[in-house]
Amino acid sequence: MRVLISVLALLLAVSGAAHAQVRTVEVRTPRAFGYFLGDLVRAQADIVVDAGFTLQAASLPQSGPLAYWLDLRDLRVEETVTGDVRRVRLFLTYQTFYAALDARALEIPGFAVTFESASAHGATTATAQVPAWSFNISPLREVVPPARENPADYMRPDGRVAALDARPLWWRAGGFGALALLAFAGLARDRAWGPFRARRGRPFGAALAQLRRLGRTPDVQDPDAEAAYGDALRALHRGLDATDGRRVLADDLPGFLARHPAYRPDAAGLAHLLSVSRLAFFGPGPAAARAALPWPQLEALARRLAAAERAA
Amino acid sequence: MNETRPGDAMLTDWREAAGRFERAVGGAVVGQARAIRLITIAIFARGHVLLEGDVGVGKTTLLRAVARALGGAYERVEGTVDMMPTDLIYHTYLAEDGRPRVEPGPVLRRAEDLSIFFFNEINRARPQVHALLLRLMAERSLTAFNREYHFPNLQVFADRNRVEREETFELPAAARDRFLMEIGMEAPRDAESRRALVFDPRFHDTDALIAGIDADVLDHAAIPGIARAIQHGIQASPAIEAYVVGLWEALVRPGGAGIRLPGIDMEALVQGGASPRGVAFLVRAAKVRAWLEGRDWLVPEDIRAVFPEVMAHRVFLEPVYEMRRAAIVPELCRAVFDTVPAP
Repeated sequence: MRVLISVLALLLAVSGAAHAQVRTVEVRTPRAFGYFLGDLVRAQADIVVDAGFTLQAASLPQSGPLAYWLDLRDLRVEETVTGDVRRVRLFLTYQTFYAALDARALEIPGFAVTFESASAHGATTATAQVPAWSFNISPLREVVPPARENPADYMRPDGRVAALDARPLWWRAGGFGALALLAFAGLARDRAWGPFRARRGRPFGAALAQLRRLGRTPDVQDPDAEAAYGDALRALHRGLDATDGRRVLADDLPGFLARHPAYRPDAAGLAHLLSVSRLAFFGPGPAAARAALPWPQLEALARRLAAAERAA
Repeated sequence: MNETRPGDAMLTDWREAAGRFERAVGGAVVGQARAIRLITIAIFARGHVLLEGDVGVGKTTLLRAVARALGGAYERVEGTVDMMPTDLIYHTYLAEDGRPRVEPGPVLRRAEDLSIFFFNEINRARPQVHALLLRLMAERSLTAFNREYHFPNLQVFADRNRVEREETFELPAAARDRFLMEIGMEAPRDAESRRALVFDPRFHDTDALIAGIDADVLDHAAIPGIARAIQHGIQASPAIEAYVVGLWEALVRPGGAGIRLPGIDMEALVQGGASPRGVAFLVRAAKVRAWLEGRDWLVPEDIRAVFPEVMAHRVFLEPVYEMRRAAIVPELCRAVFDTVPAP
C-alpha cells in the first residue's frame, strides 16, 4: 500500500509570473514508518512546470552524505511533456544510519530545483522548492536485553550442515600426487638425474672387442692384415677420443694422463701406441708400424687399457 | 722420431740455421717464443705476416729483430691517413738546381733486392694503399715508370694495433686473405720475462737491442729455393690429406660436422671464407713446421700448431656474430679440432 503525502508548495518569494511557471510540487513515499538502521528510504518527487521550462541538471542535489546519519545514494530523473506542461519525476534513494533507541520521526531536508526557459529575448529561471518530509524509524531490539548466564546464549545457535564425503578429495589428491611423481620422473630423465644418469661407456672395452674380432684372421702375410692393423689402431684411437671427449693427438698425451690418472701406469704404452700410429698413418706406413708394435703387444695393451678403464 | 733422410743434408743445415735464427731473435724479444716460431714458419713458407696486438707489446721490435737477423734490403713505412699509393712508389721534389726530380719511393728504392717490406700500423693507411699491396703481396711485382718490377725475395710484414678504431681503415677481406698468418701478440705472462722487460735496461733502448742481434743469420737470397725444397721434401700421407679436408669442411659448415657452441645457431654462423688459397697456405705452413720439428712427413699436430693463425682470419661470420668474433672464432677452431678424427 502506498501512502501518499501531497504537499502544495506556494512559492511566495518569487514573482507572480514565476509562480505560474512552477505549477505543483509533490513528494510521494511508499510508507512513513517501519524503517530500521541501514534501510534504504525511497521517495519520488513530482514537479509540474510549464512546457517551455527545462530542468537545470546542475541544480539537482549531489549524491553523497547529507548528514552524519543520512546519505543520498541515488538520483534518477524522468521527464515527460503532455500538452502545455512538463512533468519531471525525481527518484530519490536515501540510506539512513541512525541508530534509534526508541521509535521516532526523522526529517529529510528539502531542496530547491531550478528550471530555465531560454528565448530570443533572454533566459528566465524558476525555482521549485521540494519540501522536507519525515519518516519514522524504530530500534532493532530492546535497549537492555534480559541478563543471561552464558554470554554465548546471546548468540543464535549455529545452523546445521550436512557432513561432506571426503573420499573423492582423497582420491583426487592421490591422483595428482601420482601425476606429480610421473612429471618428476620425466624431468629427472630429461636432466639425467639419479638413475637416469648416463652410464659411463667403456670405449676401451669396445676397442678390445673390435681388436679380438679383427684378430681372428691374424695372417701376417695377408694383404688385408695391413688394413686390419690400421683398423685396430683406429679402434684404439676412438677409445682414447671417447674417453677424453675430444680428439687426442700424440702431443696431447700428457694432458690426457693428467685428466685421466687411471691410465698413468700405461703411459709408456700409450706413448708408444701414438708414435706407432703416427708411423702407420702419416709416416712410412703400416709395415714399419707393425714392426715397432706387433699385434700381440697391441692386443695386450688394449687389454691393459680396458682393465684400467674398468678399475677407474 | 727423426726420420730425415741423411741425403737431405741441405735441409738439415738449414734447420740448424733456422734454430740459430730463432735463438737470435729470442735473445732480443723475450717471452714470445710462439710468435717467433710462427714468424720463422712464415719466412720458410714465403708468406706475409700481419702482427696484431695491444700497444707496446713489442710488435715493431719483433719485426725489426727479424729483419735484422734475416738480412737483405729492408724498407719500412708508417701508415698514415693521408698516405697515397704513389707515396710508396716515388716521391717528387725540387733539386738544388731548381729542376723537378722524380725519385723511386720506398718500394722501388732497393728494387729487386728488397727482401723485407715492413708496413707499420697498416690499418691507418687508406684502402687505396691496401689495394696497391694486394698485387705486391700476391704476385711480388709492381708496374711503375713504364716497366715491371719483380721482387722475388719480398716478404711483407705488417702490424696493427687492435685497440684504436679512430682514423683507421679495416683491411679488406682480399688483403687479409693474402697474408699467410695473422699472429696475435700478447705481453708475456710469466713473471720472469715481465721482470726482465721492465727492469733490465737492455730492453729499454730498442735500437741498441736490435743492433745486438747477429745480422744476416740466414741467407735471405737462398730462402725461396730452400722453401721450395721443403715443400717438395715433406710428405703428406693420404690420411693427413683426408684430415685437412675434414677440418676445412668442419670449419665452413660446423653445423653439418656436429659442432655445437652454446648460444650460437651453427647453421647460420659461418658466412664464407676459408678459401682454397687459405687451406693451401695452411698445408705450406704445416710442412715448414714439420721440417722445423725434424720430420719429413706431416702429422696432425703440425696442422693444429699453425691453424688458428693461418685460418682464423679467413673465416667470415654472419654480421650478427661478427662483433663477438674474438671470442667465437678461437672457440670454433678448438671445436673443429675436438670433432674431426685425426687418423
